[in-house]
Parts: sequence; C-alpha cells; structure tokens
Amino acid sequence: MLLLGFFLGLAVGIGFWVWQQVQLNRYLGRLLRPLTSHSYKMGLLLIPGLRQEIAMVKQNQQDLQQSLQTYQDLLDFAPVGYLQVDEENQLLWCNRQAQKILYLQSWQPEQVRLLLELVRSYELDHLIEQTRDLQKPQTGEWIFHPSRDDAAEMATIKSFALRASSLPLPNGQVGVFLENRQPLLDINQLRDRYFSDLAHELRTPLTSIRLVAETLQTRLEPPLNRWVNRLMQEVDRLISLVQSWLDLTQMEANPNMQLQAKAVELRSLITSVWETLEPLAGRQHLSLSYSGPENVWIKADQARMYQVFLNLLDNSIKYSLPSTSIHIEAKILSTKDNHTASPILEINLIDSGVGFSEADLPHVFERFYRGDKARTHSPQDGNSIGAIVGNGLGLAIVEQIILAHGGSIKAMNHPETGGAWMQLQFCEVMANSLSQDYS
Amino acid sequence: MKAIDYNPNPQRPQLARAIRRLERDILRMGALVEQSFRLSHQALFARNLTAAEELPRLDKKIDRFYRQIESDCTAIMTLQAPTAQDLRFLSAFMQLVRDLERIGDYAEDLAEIAIKIFPYAPHPSMPDIEAMSLHAQSMLATSLKALGDLDEASGRRLKHLDDTVDDAYDRVYQTLAQQRDVPGVVEPIVLLALAIRCLERMADHATNIGQRVAYIVTGQRS
Repeated sequence: MLLLGFFLGLAVGIGFWVWQQVQLNRYLGRLLRPLTSHSYKMGLLLIPGLRQEIAMVKQNQQDLQQSLQTYQDLLDFAPVGYLQVDEENQLLWCNRQAQKILYLQSWQPEQVRLLLELVRSYELDHLIEQTRDLQKPQTGEWIFHPSRDDAAEMATIKSFALRASSLPLPNGQVGVFLENRQPLLDINQLRDRYFSDLAHELRTPLTSIRLVAETLQTRLEPPLNRWVNRLMQEVDRLISLVQSWLDLTQMEANPNMQLQAKAVELRSLITSVWETLEPLAGRQHLSLSYSGPENVWIKADQARMYQVFLNLLDNSIKYSLPSTSIHIEAKILSTKDNHTASPILEINLIDSGVGFSEADLPHVFERFYRGDKARTHSPQDGNSIGAIVGNGLGLAIVEQIILAHGGSIKAMNHPETGGAWMQLQFCEVMANSLSQDYS
Repeated sequence: MKAIDYNPNPQRPQLARAIRRLERDILRMGALVEQSFRLSHQALFARNLTAAEELPRLDKKIDRFYRQIESDCTAIMTLQAPTAQDLRFLSAFMQLVRDLERIGDYAEDLAEIAIKIFPYAPHPSMPDIEAMSLHAQSMLATSLKALGDLDEASGRRLKHLDDTVDDAYDRVYQTLAQQRDVPGVVEPIVLLALAIRCLERMADHATNIGQRVAYIVTGQRS
C-alpha cells in the first residue's frame, strides 16, 4: 500500500517535471522561431541553440555599433556642416564643418545647451521650428552674421550667405545640413563685373569704328558703298548690344534710382510706339488693335515705358505671321478682384504669331536666351536691311524696367490665337476718370 | 542652460523646461535686436537706405516678442510659484527684455536719422561715431553671450566697456558742439548729436543686461 502511494507520488512528480520541460521547450521554441529560419528539434538541444542565438545577436549588435560609428565618423568628416537638435532646440551634436561655419569651436559634446546660446541666428532657429511644425524637410537661405565680442574683430569679420536644409527626425529632433554659399555668390558677382567692364571697354572702339564707317559712307559712290552700309549695320548692331547690356546691368544694380516718374498716358504712348514701328509692321501687313479705357494714366518713366512697348511690339512684329493683327487690351482690376489695396492696371499684349515653345517659357526673360522658335523662324523678307535678328536682351530689359516700376510681367501662349501673350501688371495707376469703354 | 545643470530641484522639470523655453525666446529676441542694430549701422554709415526701410517691420517683431515674454514670465510666476534662483531668473528676464526692447527702438531711431542725414555730405566725425557703433554692437553681443553662458564675470566686464563709449560720446559731443561758422544748415550736426546720444543709451542698456546676468548668478545687485 505504501509502495503504491510512493510510486503514485513519484509518477505525479515526474509528470509535473515532464510537463514543465515541455512548456519550457515550447516557450524556447517560440522564442527562437522568429530569430532563426532553422527549426530546432525539441529537446535539450534548445539550450545550446539559445546560446548560439544570443551569440549571434551580440555579434549583430557589435556590427551595427561599428557601422554606426563609421557613419558618425563619415558625417563628422563631411564637407557640409551638420548639426542635430532635440525637441527643446538643444544642440545634441554637430560635425567639424558645422563648427567651422558657425564658429562653434567652444562647444563641447558633453554639455547640452540651447542652440541659440551658441549661435544667435534667428533664421536658423526659425527654420528648425518650421521643420518641426510641418514635419517636412525645409530649406532656407540667408545672410549669416557671425557675432564677435570684440569691436575690432567685428569690423573685419565677414558675413556670408548660408544655406540650410533641415530634416525632421523622430522624437521631435531635427537635423540640419549647412552650406556656405558665399563663394558662389562671389564668383557670380565677379563674372558680372567682368562683363560690365568688357562692355564699357568695347564702347569706345565701337564708336570710333562707327565714325570712320560714317565718313566712308559719305565718300563712296554706289555700288561701293554697299559694303560700307553693311558695315554700318553690323557696327550699329554691336553698339546697340553693348548699350543694352550696360543699361541692363545698371538697372539691376540700382533698380529705383534713375526713374523720372511722371504721368504717362498709356494709349498715346502705344500709338507713338506703333508709329515708329510702322515701316516694319507695314511690310507684314500687320495691324494693331487696342481695347480698353480711353484715358489711362500711370506714374512711370516715359522713356523707359517707351522702350518696354518698343521691345514688346518689335518682338510681336518679328514673330507674327503676315496679315494678322496684334491686340492690346488694357483693364483696371478693382480692389475686389486683386488682393492689394490699390487698383492694378493689367495690360495684355496678344499676337497671332508662332508663340513660345513650352520649354522656353520659364527662360524667356533671361539674358541672351533665344528660344528655338527664334532660331528657326526666319523673317519673311530675309535679305532686306530691316531683318536684323534680335540680340536676346529685349525681354530682359523689359522685365527689369517693369520690376523697377514695382510691376510684374508674365509670358504665356494665348490659347485662341496660338501666339505670344505678354501680361503686364502695374500698381502705379493714377486716379483717372473711369470713362466708359467705347472701343 | 548651464545653470539648470546645478539647479538643485530636479523635481520641477516642468518649471525648468518653461524657463528654458523662455530663455530661448529671449535669445531669439536678442538675435533680432542684434540684426536691427546691424541694419541701423548699415543705414547710417554705409548709406544703405534699403536697410533703413526694413527696421520698422523688425521693430514690430521685437515688440511682439517683448509683450509675449513679459506675459509668459508673469504666467509662470503665478502658476508655478518658483523660488530662489528660478525666481531670480524670471524677474531678471522681465527686466532684461525691457532693455533689449529699448535697444531695438533706438536702432529704429538711428535708421530715421540715417534717412534724414542722407542728403548731406559725411561729417568728419563719422569714423569716430562708426567706432562707437561697432563698440556698442560688440557690447550687445557680449551681454547676450553672457546671458547664454550665465557668465557673471562677462556681465560685470560690460561696465568697463561702457566707459569707452561714454568717453567717445564726450569727445564727439565736444567736437560737434564747438563747431563754429557752420556754412549752410545745421541739420547734420543736430542729427549726429542725436545719433551719438542713441548710441550711448544703447551701450548703457547693454550694460544693464550684463548687470542683470550677474544678478541672476549671484543674487547681488551691484
């Protein structure tokens, strides 16, 4: 009887032990299954399997740690500056280039301080805030003024153009890449200066050549003066190119300084421009039609606005198909339609020519940009004296003048006529009697 | 902030965070004030009128910061009931932003003077006044750096730097006041006298900021 009880107890104990082993094995198997693709046999082999797993995970972690360190070293060494801030805008880390750019040499990695304490740049802080709010990468460019404690250093240290590209990171952190754009700007400025100097230098010899050609012209009889006439043509073309370039550079350098603004009536200005271009227009049998208020006065520089319409209408004439008409529409957008406080005058110049090609549209106002249509389109009377192909500066000059007056210009293709559609907008409209539109 | 590191009440992280945020706003305002001072320098000495025109807008921003920081300070003081060093922080901050806002206003005044003085030829004292302006700007930079680092020594050093500006002020004032037989209008002389007064006041306000920083650290008013 006692023996039976003993064996029963032993069986129950062994049963518990076996059940516990089975549970442990099942648990370990479940634990190991996601880590490995092998399937382990149930049994005591699970323990070494577990050991192997742990060794593998440790090795993995070491590899990851190493690659993290490699990436950190790479970033530290990178030619662009990089800094990382946490959600309170405290500086967590910055690489060597960033230290050089922002004069952060006094920063030590152990101390966690506000970025603003180290570099007092409002724009940088603002960019970081924006990135965090929008959770989207942002870029910003501004002039960075390094601050110095010493007055003598302040006079000598240079400000430079800085570009920052920021990226939102998890946990409210933000990473910012910094580039020093000043060398690029300096090169651009130098190049512009070279061109201006060149243009200046060219002007005097060209004038002399022209004088000589003029003298020759009077002394030669036809048919000999045919060549001198050709010479004069080309010299005039060069002179107008150089003069346009100098005007353009001067206008870009100081936009508002040379305008002699007075009241200019639009319709009479356009009419006078058309009269000047009448010979060219007549050859193609082109006509001009104007629709809009009768008396529109704007505050502008008369000579410059004349140049604007001269260039625009000249372009229209050059690229229009024969026997078509050029429309000029003027309308005053009241303060309800536009979003500004004063009325805006909108002038639309529409021709029925070949128009712009889609690829050219963003570049038409660039200097010396000649679109494909300009290169391939030949004027109807190719050999006559009037067919001078443009120098590529006309629209650039128009844009500069319009910008100097505080207006805007847009180039599009007109959907109905298929030709070019130039839209100008002016805000310097003078109070004029809003007469009925009788045209 | 360095002070937060040895702040003996880590059980008020919310207060510490609020103070840090406030410090950030003050440094932002400081950056704007530095920018407006720089622009006024450009307007007056480089005759850059575009810089002068930007100043009213910038000054409005600075005023907005001033009001916001002041209301934030009072909110923290009533809601969180800080004590000891934290209270010193807050009361010093409230006074500090007043000084910063005054410097911003003086910069706007300098821009107006620059616009008015533009038609006249430069006065022979201009280099001295330019040196005064650079010195005052460096004083502002030093004071803001002292605020960021909570450097008491830097804060006190500003008092000595102020002496340079005061001496320059006296010298230039004597030159302007003793001018005899002035041909034409005296407006440029009047405007320059106003300008050096503005600069001297700006330097004084920067010194005040330095004093406040010293107060935050030591609790002693000098």
